[in-house]
Amino acid sequence: MYRLSKLRFGFPIGLLIMLLLDGSVSHIFSSQMFNYPTVMVSHLVVLWLVTAVLYEENVTMPLGRWAIVAGTIFDLYYTGIFGVYIFIFPLLVYVTRIMVTYISPNFLSGLLIYFIDITLVEGLGFLASRVVHMTVISGSSFLVNTLGPTLAFNLALYVILYFPIRWVYNWLN
Amino acid sequence: MQKFSFNRRLVIIIVCLIVSFALMTVSVVIRNKRSTPPLIQQFGNDIVGLADRVVALPANGLSGSVSSVSELLNTYQENQQLKKQVSELAQTKVRDQTLAKENQQLKQQVKLNDSLTDYTAISAAVITRTPSSWQNQVVINMGSSAGVQKNMPVMSGSGLIGRVAEVNKTNSKVELITDNNDSANRFAVQITTKSGTTVNGVLSGYRTATGQITMNNITTKAKIHKGDKVVTSGLGGVTPKGLYVGKVAETGGDDYGLSTKLYITPATDLTDLNIVTVAVTKQ
Repeated sequence: MYRLSKLRFGFPIGLLIMLLLDGSVSHIFSSQMFNYPTVMVSHLVVLWLVTAVLYEENVTMPLGRWAIVAGTIFDLYYTGIFGVYIFIFPLLVYVTRIMVTYISPNFLSGLLIYFIDITLVEGLGFLASRVVHMTVISGSSFLVNTLGPTLAFNLALYVILYFPIRWVYNWLN
Repeated sequence: MQKFSFNRRLVIIIVCLIVSFALMTVSVVIRNKRSTPPLIQQFGNDIVGLADRVVALPANGLSGSVSSVSELLNTYQENQQLKKQVSELAQTKVRDQTLAKENQQLKQQVKLNDSLTDYTAISAAVITRTPSSWQNQVVINMGSSAGVQKNMPVMSGSGLIGRVAEVNKTNSKVELITDNNDSANRFAVQITTKSGTTVNGVLSGYRTATGQITMNNITTKAKIHKGDKVVTSGLGGVTPKGLYVGKVAETGGDDYGLSTKLYITPATDLTDLNIVTVAVTKQ
């Protein structure tokens, strides 16, 4: 009963807050997270989208559409390069939905799915940046300096925020 | 039927890829060429910027109170050290004022209105930072309505931190000098060596391993020492003369041994930005 539940308004508001918190977290902890050459990138908005797919059992939400909206805001407001995350976020929802049909979602399998999702987001983002020459970093240093720390940071956030976010979804539903 | 749906998926993927590349190319071109982004993008960014202030205000306030508690712990030591510096600074400031006044009078005598060193400052607060490892950008809360224009230099604390990359009505994006991308504009700088010769050059990139700015293609024979101060030269238009960039940390030859390559330690900590200053030159 998506049309009648509080999720109809709660989900987009949460999505926007998570999107903006990504920037705030990056700004406040920038001396820890952007400690060059090691870079940790916060992906709270990805966490919100992926957990929505994981908790989506009897209510179906138009996640693809909201992912496009989140991607558009991300591209315009944060990066200024239009056409990267607007495609990556819906793809992410699609891939996560396929994975959920194979693995029944719980806390640990969700961790595995989130691991794959973060790798996908960072990898495709890196490829896109290389194509438009936003970066000149080689693939190997991307793996070591960006992907590794980013995975560690985001998986830790997943472990911390999994149950609070589930509580929020249950409350909204 | 199975084959049809597979083909359709393939077509969708290819179309998405092509559209994505086209959009990326167009937006990079627009970003490099035009002074402001398209009106729709500006409008969207202003709206999101407003919403972001609502989120960023409590977050930044929380971080501010935490850091003020931790700063309180070493206040005593800091106070003792700063007291010594203040007395020296007062002397320098008075001298600076006298020189500035004299300079103004001299300029009036030779009927020179504005020289390269003149600029006015716009103070702005940092709202947020781009959560991406490829783009070192911060969003500040002043836009074209406050007089900010594209390519204006931005300072924080004692030194240069970057330049305005995109201007909306009420907020703008600042590309930090740590950004290593190809399209980033470079600053024209100069070094006055100990023997008094001036060496001109252009900042060329950022060495992430040591956190130093690099400066390439210096063909002068003048001896540059470690610790020489680097300031902007004011050549090339928008940047005023005399903004402090940093100190020379290391000198060396480039890969072919033809020119000198310098490594510069930036004057400000580029990961801890809260209040920044946009320098506006009178043109």
